[in-house]
Amino acid sequence: MMSLEQARRRYLPMSETMFYILLSLKQERHGYGIMQHVKELTDARIILGAGTVYSSLGKLESDGLIEAVKEEDRRKFYIITPLGRGILREEALRITELHRNSEGLL
Amino acid sequence: MKDKKIVWFSAFRHVVPADYENWLEKMAAEGWQTGRFRQWSSIYLTFTKGEPKKYRFVYDPQVSPRKDYVTTYEQFGWEYLGRMASAHFWRMEYSNKRPEAFSDTTSIVQRNRRTISAVSVGFFIFIALEILYAVLLTVFRDSLSASDRTQLIIAGAFFFILTMTLGAVMLVLRKNEKR
Repeated sequence: MMSLEQARRRYLPMSETMFYILLSLKQERHGYGIMQHVKELTDARIILGAGTVYSSLGKLESDGLIEAVKEEDRRKFYIITPLGRGILREEALRITELHRNSEGLL
Repeated sequence: MKDKKIVWFSAFRHVVPADYENWLEKMAAEGWQTGRFRQWSSIYLTFTKGEPKKYRFVYDPQVSPRKDYVTTYEQFGWEYLGRMASAHFWRMEYSNKRPEAFSDTTSIVQRNRRTISAVSVGFFIFIALEILYAVLLTVFRDSLSASDRTQLIIAGAFFFILTMTLGAVMLVLRKNEKR
C-alpha cells in the first residue's frame, strides 16, 4: 500500500475517470455498477468502458485507495479506503479552487 | 463459392491494435467472421463466410488477468473470443454508437504500452539468441565444418531479421500509442 505522499504524487491532479470511480466507491459497487452510476451522475457524458474500469480498479486496489469487499457470481465489489477518501478530498479541494477561480468566465 | 479464408501474419499486417480492431470490424461487415482466437492467430487466422455483422472488436493485452476480468467485460455486454498470445479479444454487436472498452486516452495509451511490452519480450529473446549464435560461431569457429558454419549463419540471419521486424513493430506502436 502507498503512503499518502506517494498517492498524492501518483493521483493528483486526478483524471475524470479516476475521480468518478473513486467517488462511486463511497458506496460498495462492482465494475458495471460504477459505469452505470457515473453515467447517471454525468447525464451520460461519461460512459466508462469495461477495459478502463477493469484496469483502473486494479491500479486503485494495488495502491490501496480502494479494497475488495465481497464477491458474488464472480463479480467483485469494491469500496473506498481511508487513503482513497483522503486523496478524493484533496482533489475535491483542488476542484473547488478551480471553480472559485473560474467564476466570471461563464 | 469460397466460404473460408485464411489470413497469414495478420498481426504483422496491422500492428497497431486500433488498426487490427478496425480490420476485424471491416471483415465482419463483409460477412467474414472469425471463430476463437488462439495462440497462433497472429500468424494464422481463419475466417468463415456468414452474415455481415456490425461488430466492435477489442484487442486487450493482459498477461495475467485477475479473476474478475472476464466477468467485468461480460457484464458490459462484450463477448469473449479468446486470446492470441497475451492479447485477449472481445466483440460487441452495435447499431448506433460504437461501443468503447477504453473510454479515455490514459487507458488507450496503457493498452498500447502493454502491447509494446508483449512485443519486447520476443524482441529480447531474439537478441539473446543473436548473442548466443555470435558466441557459438566465435568459440567453435575452428572445429565447425563449413556446412555447420553456413547453417549457423543462416539461422543467425533469420533471427536477425525477426529481431529487426519486432524492433520496427515496437517503433510503430510507440508512434501510434495514443489511438
